[in-house]
Amino acid sequence: MTLRRSIVAAFLAAFGLAAAGTAGAYHTHFVADNCNSAAPTPTSYITRDGSATVALRARFEGYQWAGGCWNDNDRDDSPGDPTEDPATGGEGGDCSGFTFKVWRESLTESDASFQQWGMLRNVHGPYTAARFKRGDGAPNVVASKAGLIKMDALASDGHIGMIWAPNPDGSDQVIEAKGEAYGTNIWTRTYRGNSSYGGVRRTGWSS
Amino acid sequence: MFNARHASTTRLALALGLLAGTAVGVGAMALASPLGPRKASSKETALEASHLPPLLTVPGEDLELRFDSTCLAADADESGAGCEVSGTVIAREGSGGEPVELPLEPAGGGVLTTRVPTSLASAPRGFTYYAVLRAEPGGPVAAVPAGGAAAPYRSLPMSNTVGVDLGAHVFGVGVRKGARIAFAPWGSGPRSVGLESGPQQTPVGASSFDVDDAGTLTVLDEVNHRLLRWPDGVGVPSLTPVSVAGTIADLRVATDGSAYALETVASPGRGPLVRRFDADGRELETVETAERTASRIELGPEGPLVLAHPSHQWLPLYVDGAPAARSQQQAHGRTGQPVAAGREVVVLRRDREVRVALVTAEGVRRSWRITSDTPLAEVQLAEVRGPRAVIVVRAYSDLEDEFIVLVLDGKGVVSRFAVCPEDWAETAPLSRFRIAGSWLYRLGSSPAGAFVDRFDLEVR
Repeated sequence: MTLRRSIVAAFLAAFGLAAAGTAGAYHTHFVADNCNSAAPTPTSYITRDGSATVALRARFEGYQWAGGCWNDNDRDDSPGDPTEDPATGGEGGDCSGFTFKVWRESLTESDASFQQWGMLRNVHGPYTAARFKRGDGAPNVVASKAGLIKMDALASDGHIGMIWAPNPDGSDQVIEAKGEAYGTNIWTRTYRGNSSYGGVRRTGWSS
Repeated sequence: MFNARHASTTRLALALGLLAGTAVGVGAMALASPLGPRKASSKETALEASHLPPLLTVPGEDLELRFDSTCLAADADESGAGCEVSGTVIAREGSGGEPVELPLEPAGGGVLTTRVPTSLASAPRGFTYYAVLRAEPGGPVAAVPAGGAAAPYRSLPMSNTVGVDLGAHVFGVGVRKGARIAFAPWGSGPRSVGLESGPQQTPVGASSFDVDDAGTLTVLDEVNHRLLRWPDGVGVPSLTPVSVAGTIADLRVATDGSAYALETVASPGRGPLVRRFDADGRELETVETAERTASRIELGPEGPLVLAHPSHQWLPLYVDGAPAARSQQQAHGRTGQPVAAGREVVVLRRDREVRVALVTAEGVRRSWRITSDTPLAEVQLAEVRGPRAVIVVRAYSDLEDEFIVLVLDGKGVVSRFAVCPEDWAETAPLSRFRIAGSWLYRLGSSPAGAFVDRFDLEVR
């Protein structure tokens, strides 16, 4: 009886400690466990519908401030990351990292070529939302908001999202990495009319 | 000897127990963990289609139906390679004419188009239609709107139309300052409203509000999971805890005091939730909405409805008094927002034009066509009240924006004024204005907090 109790007690203690340790640590390891630093694949062109499919693969994935690595399993693999810490290693891009990858941009700001980054390539790119808004970098230009179309972007000093489709009431559906509580998805937004947002366009679309 | 053997056996048992417990504990968490072992992705081909329906038309308008499809193949590589999409539109004159098939032609970039024959485009009772899109080869088939033949789009010719030309909007001119009837600083205290903020994120706070006919003001403080209520719109708010998730929820309050909150973030493959709370904040019911997102909730004559996307249709949450399944909601989708007496209000904005109509089963009863030399963004509010319509639309340039408030009647503009945007924090997208009685209420914010201003529409 004593022997059995010893085995059970040891089992339960070890189970509890192991489970707590494993559960408590997992979400900070997404990047370390899954992401890579592979070089991008240069492509000769970029199309709006092609970029839309790249963006669609990130839908339902997570959000990570300063991040840029996600898989395609339709869930946030690192929910509840501290929002103020860029080093938590969670899944997802932030708004500007997401845009950078969808727009196939280069890490070299003077380079407007098209670079296809893998989903699991952990890269954010050099631009914040504010820098996109200013049209910083060779691939990016400030554009009039009234003329923006699918996969152009609306950027403020703190956020950027890409236009997915117009709504009949004049709002837009926007695909964006919104925040830790939101992840990445398509939502209705009124950024276009809001003067804190400006229009920005990636140059060089083939169609 | 016995003791030594016993001690040895006990140590062995403890070691075995620790080993087994560790292995099972790690394994259990690995299986439960999102990063745990999992099968290769078994995702199916995803087909997303966007379509801007010509809900209201004017004589002689050239009508092309355009469907912008994004197809993500199940076996897509890192480039997110798409798949081909084909489709057909099934249209009818009015709602009961003979069906006409209009093949959709590829126009490049995932876009499919078809031109509406003149016989349909100029039909006095308009036309109804839906599209059937197919991802090739052998991928999913999707109806647009999802209700298909049961709830097609309805395109109506405008009639009894009042034209209103706004000209070029001059920002800062004709701005009316409302009476500030409520203010709450950002925070978590009893008189505060919560602010959600973070790096690379627009601040979000006081995500929606509502006002009843008695003037009771209710603000949804989703950050602190509560409602703030100002009886008569003045004084210190009372607090009612509600179990609403964050996520920029919209709010409507019924005459019995129950509140409906439309959340915007949903689980993958599921629709956003509408939570209903009684006046004391107890959760009464939760209904899942049918489509991937919904941008507004309203209380119609037969119950709550949401404006769903990608269909852009108003979907009822209850059918025959019971919570409706997703397919039921979609089968009852409506082009316009249902209002009293079987009528609907239909809104269509184009770049510098807004069309608003009051429609019945027979067609358009009254309509307003508002044109502008300045780009117009979202229509925040469009309500038809007796012989008049109240419309709030945002005018914008690349540097400025203002809301234009219009009170219109059968002859034109009764009154017009501008309202400063004052939208420092993000709210639910179409929840900034409400009407109660002859008052217009606006939810605004600044770095100091959220507030509600009241404007007299001077409509008695």
